[in-house]
Amino acid sequence: MSQEPRGLEELLARFRYRPDEESGGLAQIPTQTVEPDQEPRADELQLLTFGLGAGEYAVALGTVTEILRARTLTEIPRARPPLLGVLNLRGTITPVYDPSLRLGIPSTVPPCAGPDCAPPPRPARILVVRTALGPAGVWVDRVRGVQRVRTGGLERPRGGPTGGVIGLLRTAEGSRTVVDPEWLLR
Amino acid sequence: MSAEPQTLDVCAFWVGEAIYGIDVARVDEILPRVVPLPVAEGPAHVEGVVHVQGTVVPIVDLRKLLPAGTPPRTAKPKVILARIGRRRVGLRVDGMAGVRRYTVAEIRPGGSVPGVLAVTADECRLLDLRGLLAVRAAPPRVPL
Repeated sequence: MSQEPRGLEELLARFRYRPDEESGGLAQIPTQTVEPDQEPRADELQLLTFGLGAGEYAVALGTVTEILRARTLTEIPRARPPLLGVLNLRGTITPVYDPSLRLGIPSTVPPCAGPDCAPPPRPARILVVRTALGPAGVWVDRVRGVQRVRTGGLERPRGGPTGGVIGLLRTAEGSRTVVDPEWLLR
Repeated sequence: MSAEPQTLDVCAFWVGEAIYGIDVARVDEILPRVVPLPVAEGPAHVEGVVHVQGTVVPIVDLRKLLPAGTPPRTAKPKVILARIGRRRVGLRVDGMAGVRRYTVAEIRPGGSVPGVLAVTADECRLLDLRGLLAVRAAPPRVPL
C-alpha cells in the first residue's frame, strides 16, 4: 500500500475508531464516559432497599437477580401463605412468596393470583432471588433503590445473626432491617 | 504499511439526501425511538440527553450539522449510539443504509462538505465525527 497517497492514510486514520482517541474537544456536550464511574470498594456493601407495609427493609444487592414489576400471578389451588402463586419467568416457573409472614408483620399483599383478581398496585415489585431450588420471587410493596454502605456502618445483632436478620442500618430517614432473602422464603 | 488493513467497514446512514458513514467500531447500538430531554443553554445541534443503561448520552442532530435535504421516503429515523474516545454520543440520522465494506482503492479523499474526510466510489461520505462535533464553538453567552 506504499503507493497510496499519504493524505488518504491520514484521513482513514482519523476515520477509524480508537478507544484512546482524544475526545476533549467535546467538553461542551454533556456526557459521561463509557465505563461505569465507580466500582464498589472492598469494604462497601450494596443494599437494595425496599418497603413492605410500614417497614423499610434491605437485602444485599448481589442476591437479587432481577426486579420485576408485579403482575398477576398464576394461582396454585389451595396454596397456603406464604406462597402467593407462580410466575412464568422467560420459561422458568418461579414461585412468588409473601415475606410478611416470615417477618411477623400483617400482610399487605392484595389477592394477586388467578384471572379474577385486580391488577397489582403500581409500586409493587417482585424481587427474583436465586435459591438452591431455582429462582424464586419475593413480593414487596415498593423498591427504593440501591444504597452503598460501609460494612462497619451496619449494626449487627449482639449474639450473631438471629434468624435471617443480618443487621440494622440507621439512616437519616429511619432505620432499615437488612435481611437474608433466602430466609424470607424458607 | 502492511499493518494497514485493506478494507474498511462502514456503518452507513442517510442524512438528508446523502449517505454518510462512520466506522462500525464506533457504533454501540441503534436506537429506534428516542425522546431526549432538552438541555438548557445547550448548543443548537444538541437535541438533548437520554439515559442509556445508566449513563447520560447527548443526542446530536446530524441534520443540523450536515447539509439538509429531503430524506428518502423509505428512511426511518434512528439514533446511532456511537463512541468518540471514551465518550458516547447519540447521532440523530434520517435512516440506516446498512454496513458496507470498502477497499482502500474505492475511497478518494476530500469532499466539499465540512466534516467529510473521504468519499467512496458509491458516494458514501466518510465522516470525521470527532472533528465535526469538536469544531462547533459554543454560542456567545449573553451576560445577565
